[in-house]
Amino acid sequence: MSAVQNRVLSTAELEAFGNELDALRARHLETLGASDARYIRRVVAGVRWTGVAGRALLFLGAFVHSVLIPAWIAGVVLLALSKILENMELAHNVIHGQYDWMGDPQLQGSTYEWDIVGTADNWRKTHNFRHHTYTNVRGLDDDIGYGLLRIFPEQRWRPFYLTQPVVAVVFALLFEWGIAIQDLRLGRWFAGKITFRQLLAQARPVGRKMGKQMFKDYLLFPALAGPFFLPVLLGNVVANLIRNVWTYVVIFCGHFTADAETFPKECVRDESRGHWYLRQLRGSSNIAGGKVMNLMTGNLSHQIEHHFFPDVPANRYAAIAVEVREICTRYGQHYNTGSMPRQFGQVMWRILRHAFPSRPRRVRPLVAATQNA
Amino acid sequence: MSALPRPPARRAALSPRHWVSEALFDFWASRVNPLWTQRRARARLVGREGASTDAVTLVLRPNRHFRGVAPGQHLMLGVEVDGRRLSRSYSPTVLEDGCLAITVKAVAGGRVSQHLVQHARVGDVVELGQAFGEMTLSATPGTRVLLLAAGSGVTPMRALVRQLDAAGMPVQVDLVYWAQQRGALCFAEEFAAIAARYPGFRVHLALTRDPAAPTARVGEYDFSVLGDLSAAHAMVCGPGGFVDAARARLHGQVAVLQTEAFTPPVLPDSETGTVQVELRRSGRTLELPRGTSLLQALEAEGLRPASGCRMGICNTCVCGKASGVTRHTLTGEYAAEPATQVKLCVNSASTDLILEL
Repeated sequence: MSAVQNRVLSTAELEAFGNELDALRARHLETLGASDARYIRRVVAGVRWTGVAGRALLFLGAFVHSVLIPAWIAGVVLLALSKILENMELAHNVIHGQYDWMGDPQLQGSTYEWDIVGTADNWRKTHNFRHHTYTNVRGLDDDIGYGLLRIFPEQRWRPFYLTQPVVAVVFALLFEWGIAIQDLRLGRWFAGKITFRQLLAQARPVGRKMGKQMFKDYLLFPALAGPFFLPVLLGNVVANLIRNVWTYVVIFCGHFTADAETFPKECVRDESRGHWYLRQLRGSSNIAGGKVMNLMTGNLSHQIEHHFFPDVPANRYAAIAVEVREICTRYGQHYNTGSMPRQFGQVMWRILRHAFPSRPRRVRPLVAATQNA
Repeated sequence: MSALPRPPARRAALSPRHWVSEALFDFWASRVNPLWTQRRARARLVGREGASTDAVTLVLRPNRHFRGVAPGQHLMLGVEVDGRRLSRSYSPTVLEDGCLAITVKAVAGGRVSQHLVQHARVGDVVELGQAFGEMTLSATPGTRVLLLAAGSGVTPMRALVRQLDAAGMPVQVDLVYWAQQRGALCFAEEFAAIAARYPGFRVHLALTRDPAAPTARVGEYDFSVLGDLSAAHAMVCGPGGFVDAARARLHGQVAVLQTEAFTPPVLPDSETGTVQVELRRSGRTLELPRGTSLLQALEAEGLRPASGCRMGICNTCVCGKASGVTRHTLTGEYAAEPATQVKLCVNSASTDLILEL
């Protein structure tokens, strides 16, 4: 399936690889300062102003019917843009603690709450901890197919997966809801491991958050338009859908491309730092593009750099990427990047192909055989 | 004097905090006026003047969220320097119009004091913490008050002297104020003017490097010139070494002894041994080993702080550090900045710490 040839690293090489990346990280942390602070504050301002402009245009269209269609379209685009920027470049990065060093209480990773139905608390657990620590490790990283899709042949096939070309589309449209309930792990309830009452108790915080978001987007703002609530309501619905699909595409490009690998649980036992870095590299894929792509993807266009250094401010990833590529070349490691159509094309192919039974690839060792012995 | 802390503003049903998030409110309100926040105390710099050769007095007008400060108390003042918000404690004097006067001495290598002395301009906005500190005088301060100050430890004393002045100097008050040289003294004229009005208020300037007549440090100071101190309420503020020496001298000699020390963080000589770690939220103080990650050390004491990856990437164990020096277990770097965040899994304690845990 893949023609990628990664050099098998010796223990010493692996350690040197890790040390070089640690040094790269230290170099960037040392130079954090006013320009990084200015960057994230500009993103905050961008989120606020596009949000207000988008909502204002929706109201304009609702009340001034002669400009309904152009104002509605522009309003939806701006509102979706605001939500995408907030979720990706602002919230996702802030929640990682990337801007904790600034000491701004409103940009603290441990307390930030975002504009999406899922709670930041759940995200800190499922994403910051589980996904980032155990990236693409089967049985530990719930992000592999989100318990809903079979992306890799190593996942056991069940007849349910035949529906996944359709399920995947529905999942894309409702992505924020999928993220919101990810930590509830409904499978445990289906399997009878927890009672419905227990499930409800666990669901209370996220339920409250869902209610808040629905009230704001689907009740409060439409109601402000009085009799002309419908275009405002629809505008909010469509903006949320656009955000859902875009975030889905970006996130799926991050770990489910053709050359992305998954790993068995044994892989993480007594894992060295170098091995952890190597696993992040092999399990992640970038999206090639310029500054606009970086901004719109919350710099997940640099998924590899993000997984190496999840708590380094994302505005540094573009500069870090140059050095990461050079290091990867020297260590004979494939640097998985490509245009968004190419990367997402590979993802779609995986979703279609592995809806049907498929056989796992031959296991290629990450490191020389003695490493994990 | 509107000095006593007042209760926080009551939560009204129409208050914006029920309807919009703090970040959203603060963003838009501060476009209009940077002092308009939902709950954060901030202040605008409305005046500055030199206080001595190396100190300035800054006059700050706080917003409505600042709950007041009693004379002798401290507060944290936060400024942004090179993208980072840095906080230091200062002891303000409340002026008649409710403004706070803070005297800042430029400390060599002190990022906040250098910033305030050199770069702070009228119109700048700073963050304020709420007042703290026990070194305050009750309305009936006994029969005698003894104030000992060194360096910028004089700032809470100035506020206390003004409080006593406003009350008509009801008791005998002695202020002993140590500095190296005359040029480094703050408020000398103000103290002299008050002393001229009240025979019961005496100021003793102790200049340890005065070319004409150097005075002894607190350890050798001749307290007998002050008379009988056995009934005195003594208050001491200054650098750690000064306060320790004063405490040793006055212990058992006065009726009440209150001290307040400020010491810039000092890196330890070695990374072995143990330190005292105060967990402020749970009200416990533990003795933890240096060189072991705080997470492991806390777990060894039977605590279960939130944690995740245990390798410094997931940010789950991040915790506020009020003061003290920590050391990164992977890079060996020290972090001495107070009021910052620390990841428990990849940092060990190097000095005594106060954690928000």
